Amino acid sequence: MAATQDAKGKGEGGDQNFDYMFKLLIIGNSSVGKTSFLFRYADDAFTSAFVSTVGIDFKVKTVYKNDKRIKLQIWDTAGQERYRTITTAYYRGAMGFILMYDITNEESFGAVQDWSTQIKTYSWDNAQVVLAGNKCDMEEERVVSVDSGRLLAEQLGFEFFETSAKDNINVKQTFERLVDLICDKMSESLDTDPAVTTGAPTAKLTDSAPPLQQPGCNC
Amino acid sequence: MDGKMNTIVRLCEVCWLSSIRTQEYLLFKDPEDKFHPSPDVLTQSVGLNITDTFNCTAMTPEQRILLGADWVWAVLEKNTKNPRIQIAVQVLHLPDKETVEENRVPSDACSESVQIAQKESSNKNIHERIVDFCASIGKDCYTLFLFMGKKNDKGNIYGVLSNNFEAAIGKCNKIDRAFIENFFKGSRYLHTPSGMMQAIIPN
Repeated sequence: MAATQDAKGKGEGGDQNFDYMFKLLIIGNSSVGKTSFLFRYADDAFTSAFVSTVGIDFKVKTVYKNDKRIKLQIWDTAGQERYRTITTAYYRGAMGFILMYDITNEESFGAVQDWSTQIKTYSWDNAQVVLAGNKCDMEEERVVSVDSGRLLAEQLGFEFFETSAKDNINVKQTFERLVDLICDKMSESLDTDPAVTTGAPTAKLTDSAPPLQQPGCNC
Repeated sequence: MDGKMNTIVRLCEVCWLSSIRTQEYLLFKDPEDKFHPSPDVLTQSVGLNITDTFNCTAMTPEQRILLGADWVWAVLEKNTKNPRIQIAVQVLHLPDKETVEENRVPSDACSESVQIAQKESSNKNIHERIVDFCASIGKDCYTLFLFMGKKNDKGNIYGVLSNNFEAAIGKCNKIDRAFIENFFKGSRYLHTPSGMMQAIIPN
């Protein structure tokens, strides 16, 4: 996986003062609420006006975990088929995905399997995925049960949340869980890769091991 | 055919109204300097649903860098609301204005995300990026390089539209301003906006 690492005080432009940078993608059918979800998380804002995303866009948000500053580069992808070439080009190098469907839209749930295949086809093997059933505030229009969502997530090996960008339900939790999963995976990689042994029994994000220099290596 | 004509007539009306609005906006001078729209209004992707079959989306600063487009016009499928035809527009100013624009540091230029977008896109110039973007969608997505002003006619707005600029890349031509302006040198006449729309909107 590619985690840009330890760019404190160097680099070209932007706020380079971070310990790790994670590239995350939000994918799923058109109009499931990907952009609203990102706006809620990054800006704590919500508008019910629907503007279909053109191509791709992104926002940056910094989070802290165990005294480490983690910069999240969160890419918001257009769900429409016509943008598939451009969106899948951004899958490469992504460390985590939020795969979203709309609990009031059966078709968007039915497409989850296809989106999962897209992840496998275009991203790194180690990419972590959280399945999010969005619009859980619209209980009266629900057509996908919580159990169906959870079961599918289990089958695909993903974590699962039902969320609402509108009512701010589980938005932060979804991102936090994804970050946790990525960090765990990175620690795991360190444990299994002798080239990056630091002498510690387990090298986790909490440890003060020196940052790794080689690209494709992590915390 | 009537349907197509109606679509074109309506779209031309919309284009005309939009041009008037754009013109008003461009020529607008706030005498008291009290017009301070929220940066959010100007930096977020804004969709303008002009009718149920046309819309225009203004790109965010990050999208403008990544995709090379300032706006994207779309003719929508009536039922699905999916774009049927798109025109991605890149605005080009007079060279002297362009230099001023380039040297000016817009408030959003310092933002971290804009700088990340620039880094992501550094391997291609902005003209190539819009061509790549349209080519990635397909032949129903057109690139429109829109020039605001000519050397001897600063109020003129003209442009070149194609869904095949990527052919130039295949021929090893670099897509830059000179390449784009070259399209006008051999032109005997220019199409009107309605002629242009008529040519690209299918039945």
